[in-house]
Amino acid sequence: MRPIPKFEYHAPVTLAGALELLYELDKAKPIIGGTDLMVSMREAVCSPSHIVDLNRIPELNYIREEEGFIKIGATTTHAQAASNPLTASIPALHDAVSRIGSPQIRNRGSITGNIVNASPAADTACPLIVHDAEIMVQSVDGTNMLPIEELFAGPKITCLEPGELVTEIRIPKPPENSNSAYKRIGRRKAFTLSVVSAAVYIQEENNVCIDAGVAFGSVAMTPLRVPEAEDILKGKELTPENIMEASEAVKDHVKPITDIRGTAEYRLDMCPVLMRRALQTAMERMR
Amino acid sequence: MPSIDAASTADSHGEDEVNKMKVRFELNGKKVETETTAYTSLADMLRDDLGVKSVKKGCEHGECGACTILVDGLPMTSCIILAPQIEGHHITTVEGLEYNPLMTDLRQAFIENGAIQCGFCTPGMLISSYALLRDNPHPTPEEVKIGIEGNICRCTGFTKIIEAVLDAAERIAPE
Repeated sequence: MRPIPKFEYHAPVTLAGALELLYELDKAKPIIGGTDLMVSMREAVCSPSHIVDLNRIPELNYIREEEGFIKIGATTTHAQAASNPLTASIPALHDAVSRIGSPQIRNRGSITGNIVNASPAADTACPLIVHDAEIMVQSVDGTNMLPIEELFAGPKITCLEPGELVTEIRIPKPPENSNSAYKRIGRRKAFTLSVVSAAVYIQEENNVCIDAGVAFGSVAMTPLRVPEAEDILKGKELTPENIMEASEAVKDHVKPITDIRGTAEYRLDMCPVLMRRALQTAMERMR
Repeated sequence: MPSIDAASTADSHGEDEVNKMKVRFELNGKKVETETTAYTSLADMLRDDLGVKSVKKGCEHGECGACTILVDGLPMTSCIILAPQIEGHHITTVEGLEYNPLMTDLRQAFIENGAIQCGFCTPGMLISSYALLRDNPHPTPEEVKIGIEGNICRCTGFTKIIEAVLDAAERIAPE
């Protein structure tokens, strides 16, 4: 049995109250689902003196469309997102939140928690990257908007300063003739961390790809966008040859390592394969 | 430092008298109020303070599903929920579903299909299967697999459990 290290518990009911607590308290950690934080605490990787529970703050739980964005509040769970019709307009994210973890994890864990945990394998990260998502970072000092890629500073490391909280994820409402998909390979199908994952986003006009997003999980220190592959796709028809060229080019830009879940060689070889599978699905969804 | 005797009941922590707090919630339809600490897991509180022994502790990482309970009707792993987080919520365990018609059929299907061997995963497996069939009375085998993907069984190899859930679906709402 693994005890939970001691801490003091706080349950503010307003965002302002939470930001105040995170500013004032030393070694404070926010908690939403706790699906990652509780594990870190039991493993003694993380021993906060204070836990600030965000679940009692009604203003942080929402998915809505506003000003051309789909906006997702901090405490929105994977299951809430999966069952919300607005998420269907972001297919790659829908793929991720429908299968991340297990039903128990999807009912408890939040999308924000998944990205703030900053695992290179975070399932929601790549879909959000290819959809050009931005995050709202708030503290007692004010509010900042950041492209989501800037959040990731390293494996399990974010750019957030103490006292800062990610309060919203904003995804530009995808235009007509666009689609996306997220694919992953795990050691097993059920409840697993991905060995490699890929998200793609494409927008077509007169059969020409006019915008593209390509990102991979578990092949670098952070979830990784590969602009070089995006550039190869842009301005061209999505023919098998062009897709092959773009997907093979990925191998020059990812830096996978060997770990308990898979070897670097396997991951490298699977990147183009997964990218092609994701493109295939995105294109089928477009038809 | 965490004590080696992890018995995560409140008393095993040194300064707990100071840190005691009250949590009020609904357990299997009854209002309860209990004294605990913030750093007690819901699984520990249910087992040690409230005697709900169907809640099993396997991995304590939210991965094995043996401690699965319903929070406001949704399956979650109680080992990674902090006791104070359930203040005001509704918790349901298999004890609270003893006479529920869906659970009765599921239980019987588990017994008749050999879906129980050692039994350690069974309460969690039943809770996940219950939530699945409640929301989707006619699941495909693939949907059953996804429905119980957060519950690990080391005895049956899952096949008999999947068969039992599909059998229960037939009993509840024959097509």
